[in-house]
Amino acid sequence: MTQQRHRGLRRIGVLVAVPALSALTLAACGGGDEDSGAGGSGGSADGFTFAFENASGGQQNPWQLLADEYAQESGVQIETQGLPPDSYGLTMRTQLQGGNAPDVMMFSPGAGNANAVLPLAEAGYIEELGEESAALVPEGNEPLFEIDGKVYAQPTSIIPVGMVWNSSAASSAGVEVPEDEAAMLDACSTLAADGKSFLAIAGSAPPNMGLMAMAISATRVYAETPDWNEQRSAGDVSFADSEGWQATLQTIVDMNDAGCFQQGAAGGGFDAITQGLTQGTSLGAFVPGAAATELANASPGLDLQVQPFPAADGGDPFVLASPNYALSINASADEGAKEAAREFLAWMAEPENAARFVELQGGVAITGPDENLSPVYEPLADLLTNGDYAPLPNLAWPNPGVYDALSTGVQGLLAGQGDVQSVLEGIDQAWDQ
Amino acid sequence: MTATMGTPQDTGALVRGSVPAAGGGQPARSRRSRPLITYGRWWWALPAVAMVLLIHYAATAGGALYAFTDWTGIGDFEFIGLDNFRRILDDPDSIGSLQNTLFLAFGFLVLTNVGGLLLALALNRTLKTRYLLRVLFFMPVVLSPLAVSYVWKFIFDFNGPLNDVLGWVGAEPRTWLADPALALWAVLVVMAWQTTGMVMVIYLAGLATVPPEIEEAAALDGASTWRRFRYITVPSVRPSIAIASTLMLIQGLRVFDQVMALTGGGPAGATETLATQVYKETFALSNFGYGAALALVLTMIMLVFSVLQQAATRDRS
Repeated sequence: MTQQRHRGLRRIGVLVAVPALSALTLAACGGGDEDSGAGGSGGSADGFTFAFENASGGQQNPWQLLADEYAQESGVQIETQGLPPDSYGLTMRTQLQGGNAPDVMMFSPGAGNANAVLPLAEAGYIEELGEESAALVPEGNEPLFEIDGKVYAQPTSIIPVGMVWNSSAASSAGVEVPEDEAAMLDACSTLAADGKSFLAIAGSAPPNMGLMAMAISATRVYAETPDWNEQRSAGDVSFADSEGWQATLQTIVDMNDAGCFQQGAAGGGFDAITQGLTQGTSLGAFVPGAAATELANASPGLDLQVQPFPAADGGDPFVLASPNYALSINASADEGAKEAAREFLAWMAEPENAARFVELQGGVAITGPDENLSPVYEPLADLLTNGDYAPLPNLAWPNPGVYDALSTGVQGLLAGQGDVQSVLEGIDQAWDQ
Repeated sequence: MTATMGTPQDTGALVRGSVPAAGGGQPARSRRSRPLITYGRWWWALPAVAMVLLIHYAATAGGALYAFTDWTGIGDFEFIGLDNFRRILDDPDSIGSLQNTLFLAFGFLVLTNVGGLLLALALNRTLKTRYLLRVLFFMPVVLSPLAVSYVWKFIFDFNGPLNDVLGWVGAEPRTWLADPALALWAVLVVMAWQTTGMVMVIYLAGLATVPPEIEEAAALDGASTWRRFRYITVPSVRPSIAIASTLMLIQGLRVFDQVMALTGGGPAGATETLATQVYKETFALSNFGYGAALALVLTMIMLVFSVLQQAATRDRS
């Protein structure tokens, strides 16, 4: 009898314990800190939290270094969160909706990337910034930072995008930077015969294909029609009917046929670019200018410069350059953290600090090229000074699908799938989604 | 004679109280009397069942609702009826993904089951090194699919060992993962290579139930190897066939890791599957509504094929 009563008690105990434990576990998982406020992730007047992309995960990231310098100078505590670029946009979106996003966040201007700021600002998650930030937006780039005249992101530096060129390897191969397409195709044939390539590309990585197409479009599309994106938004033009875009993609097909890319280019990864450039087996590559600076710093003796991509025959040189990164403040952050974040942005806007960041990141000063222009960008100095550049096109595109359609379409062209016209029609479809 | 009525592990009768316990002269309890072991009542499972319903099914159903919206992952959304499903049918990329998914699923099903059964038959009896070989063939199963895929990516690389071997025999190197005609096959090979060991184990378990005496008797009666396999082995391992084929079909339909690591869905969508497209649309392109619709379609396809497959492999005896 005693045993039976014990057994009965044990059953009741189990019956009570299971739901109680479950409830406690769920409460522990779902419970928030009552004192943490409506949003933000714990920032205060003495500090703030700061998220940015960090591809390598190391402490030498320019955002991290800048935050360290500011913390040391001001005594403000900054809790940094460096995230991989491929999941950065999604993480920020999730955290903003969950109410635990950092107080200061790095974004891409416009709406054409997964980590773009304008859709978030439109949804009310981003704090409006003041005149100090607005004054830094380069002329003509306002639509990438503003909605209805209100600025939501502060640009940090200008990143030129052209063709990263290994000058010493080119000299060894007896090749000079071609001035037009015909000269480039000739150089490609010469180099291919020597077992080298004019360019190294990452054919298996669609973003690199997209960057290549955009860099080429600078001279074929945006040199003649700088407001092409606005015209496309208005429905006045289309990719499929654009002679400039047709010429852009046809150039890629012609380059592939002429052997401008390394062997097995369609399956190459970013390692092919790094190896090709550093070993001198390829003379150039399409990577953002900041990456060229990083690569040059990592490989002493490597003579890298950013060159404009050869213009179409009879065309003029033109490049892409725009503030590709910007800082924003979480609209739900605590007032104290917001104030600390605003002070940080104001500090960043000061010329000497902006110059320091340019030095760390390897870009060009947001106010344009000055005496501190990196030697990597020397070939672009005149173009930048004269204003012969346009913003990275995809920043102004309406959704990330447009760039994806361009990137995968170019990838298909190299792999023998589809043709120029079908790729351009696919990009139009993505634009209209 | 009684020994043949059940396995030594069959304690059902004892637990139900329908037979006397060993060594006891106790009278057998009637079927309607209280069981000897009474630890547990069906309603004890209610909290767990409720949580499963809440977490698995209610949450999934809630997620499926987004398939009927235009949500971009941020801000408000509107219900747009079946527009996302119409877009799937109109989108050649989605149709291509569906075709790739079915190709990989059925190719995977066939390759792993044929390979696994052959390995199991070879390593079932007689071979002295069978235990070592079983371990070797099973080893890829315990590795991470991502790790395996990256190793194979190196093998398939243009400057990788596979092209080196081709070079030794005078063949032209290939861009295995960037060739639309080869990339999908490459993914299938990697999937099958890693999982065949698992299927082998399932079939080995099934073959362990085949009594050698019956096979020997059939052999003495003059039955050929094929007839012994067809009429003795296959019926005996039918439950294993049902399990292995179901698991492989479902695993093939939801393939993701290998595709992402090997090709990322490229070149130009040539190896895109429904699972990778769900990821891309939802998380890379922020089309949460469309991604949810694709996920719902994938779920329905898996459900339908699983039911059909279960029906096809059901033991009709």
